Amino acid sequence: MDVDGFIETKDLSKVYTFGTVQVAALRSVTLSLARGRLVGVTGASGSGKSTLVNLLGGLDRPSSGSIRVDGKLISDLSKKELALYRRNTVGMIFQSFNLVNAYTALENVAFPLLFASVAKKERLRRAEELLHTVGLEARKDHRPTELSGGEQQRVAIARALVNQPQILLADEPTGNLDSKTARQIVEILSELNRQHGLTIVMISHEQDLLREFADEVIRLHDGAVVEREVLRQKP
Amino acid sequence: MRISDYTRQAGGNLWKKKLRTFLTTSGVVIGVGALVCMLAFGQGIQRNITDQFEKLDLFSYINVFAGGGGDRPGDSSDPDDHGPVHSRRGRDVRDVNHPGPQLNAEALKRIGEIKGVEAVFPEMRFPAQIRLGGKEMFTLVQVLPASACRAGLVKLRSGAFYDSDEPNELIVSDSLLHRLAVRDPEAAPGMKIEVATLTLDFSLTNLLRMALSAGGQALPFARENYAFTVVGVATRMGSMGPLPLRSDVLIPPGPAAQMRKLSLTSVWDLFAPSGGGANYASVSVRVQALQDVEPVKKEIESLGFGTFALMDQLREMRIGFLIMDMFLIAVGMIGITVASLGIVNTMVMSILERYREIGIMKAVGATDGDVQRIFLFESGAIGLLGGLFGLGLGWAVGMIINEVINVLMARQGAPRMEYFGFPWWLCLGAIAFSILVSLVAGVYPTRRAARVDPVVALRHD
Repeated sequence: MDVDGFIETKDLSKVYTFGTVQVAALRSVTLSLARGRLVGVTGASGSGKSTLVNLLGGLDRPSSGSIRVDGKLISDLSKKELALYRRNTVGMIFQSFNLVNAYTALENVAFPLLFASVAKKERLRRAEELLHTVGLEARKDHRPTELSGGEQQRVAIARALVNQPQILLADEPTGNLDSKTARQIVEILSELNRQHGLTIVMISHEQDLLREFADEVIRLHDGAVVEREVLRQKP
Repeated sequence: MRISDYTRQAGGNLWKKKLRTFLTTSGVVIGVGALVCMLAFGQGIQRNITDQFEKLDLFSYINVFAGGGGDRPGDSSDPDDHGPVHSRRGRDVRDVNHPGPQLNAEALKRIGEIKGVEAVFPEMRFPAQIRLGGKEMFTLVQVLPASACRAGLVKLRSGAFYDSDEPNELIVSDSLLHRLAVRDPEAAPGMKIEVATLTLDFSLTNLLRMALSAGGQALPFARENYAFTVVGVATRMGSMGPLPLRSDVLIPPGPAAQMRKLSLTSVWDLFAPSGGGANYASVSVRVQALQDVEPVKKEIESLGFGTFALMDQLREMRIGFLIMDMFLIAVGMIGITVASLGIVNTMVMSILERYREIGIMKAVGATDGDVQRIFLFESGAIGLLGGLFGLGLGWAVGMIINEVINVLMARQGAPRMEYFGFPWWLCLGAIAFSILVSLVAGVYPTRRAARVDPVVALRHD
């Protein structure tokens, strides 16, 4: 394990209880990810990829073990502190985009700033800027139902970036997209990683895309890390 | 999150579900409207009763009775005095076995020195024939010291009060002048009025006249005439006046003491020396402010006199009003309770529909408190709208009922009255109560929203 890892997990485990049955989603995962890396996570369905991302994103709490981000122990944070961590440190994108259908693209992007008590004018200004970055400025007043899958995911990326996070967690962002659009999305993520030094953890089944864009790939099986392949080093 | 954002969010979310918001708010409107209407009716009734009492200036007076010895004959008596003989303490103020202090000039002076007393005057009235120009009118003449006149008791329409207790001057009511066919009451000051009293006459000539008269028509009475000058014309006297001023003519004590007269309100009057004695059966005390009633009463009672104040009755009336209000609130609360269940249902539905959105909120950094407050603002907004429109509905229904009652009462010849009262506290209270009920109704659903697990919610379809 890297001593100076930006994201560190130690003996991280997550067990779900369904009645009397206990299912281990993650078993004693120990990882260290350096700042500014684009890390791919892959594995079969039910291997614990989403659980890992949810734990890293502070959406869920581990059953045992610890998570440190930039030296801060995330796994011990209170509910409120965890919410602030999600607000300020991480941005998340999902396979099903998870946009609010009642809002326009612009409002969706500005949504996280609402909870950061940013003034409405500033919220909309920043959201517009990010929509421009992902090439959707012209679609800002459209609702998610009026956008294609690729456009929705780009809106979701803009939303994830609006609070200027240090980490971007992507849970199968290309899962619902055709291969061409999937490639465009991964290109955007790669660009963000390269230009802004954003640390990205991306779950994907698309091995070709991972090999092409990820700095390293972690393979999970039955909740445990079975393989870690470093594809390229960064200065 | 900013308050403005919560408000905007609440407004936006309620607007998106217009029909549901309308139906839920309608329930609150009807509930609040019913409550407001009932309370306003209660307030209207209370106001009408207390206004009537205040109009008659009944609350600022204390009647004082002699503490012992009771019905001393010969002192001037009040023809209207059917006054209670028990003080508020329940003590028999006419207990002949325990004669108390007498109500005399010294007692009046001591009562007048009590803090909070504006005026104190004995209740002395006698019947007299008033003659002005060619017209005569029978009325009650009241003896009122100059100081009591000036203490705000008498409302002058023209002229002035008599300067002292000595001159042969009087104040007359405008209504009596009207009955005496004086067209211009403003010009009455300066006019000469003759006051004729009745006295017992057992002189030899009168007895002879009685003996020689046919048919037993003659009685041992004689008429005494006294000349007075009108100095002031007062309004709201006589039957329209405050309780202690139920007379149309006021004269100072000086000439009253010199007048031979019979009160004829008690058989003892027939044997009393004319001109009044040193003791009074009862005395009226006017206090400076309503809050002085109780301390002044206590002070007077500590001097050994019995007291009676209508203010005490008002207290009992208020308990009655409170019970009536409680009953009306209980009936009105039925509507509010049903409406609050509607709010719970709406909020639960809204949370179920927006389950995934709650997950998104949490994923992008909303705290449990943020989520709870977003939904509480929605719930409160329903309450605010319901309160505002409910107040309007209650007011409108109240006005319609008021008009209907007045039309029906006008046929009976009754004067117009406002049967509904909408004091500011009722209006603001109704809105505040509506918001409060809505917030309470929203507590359970919003707590449920705050506890939503974001991982589960984000997977929710």
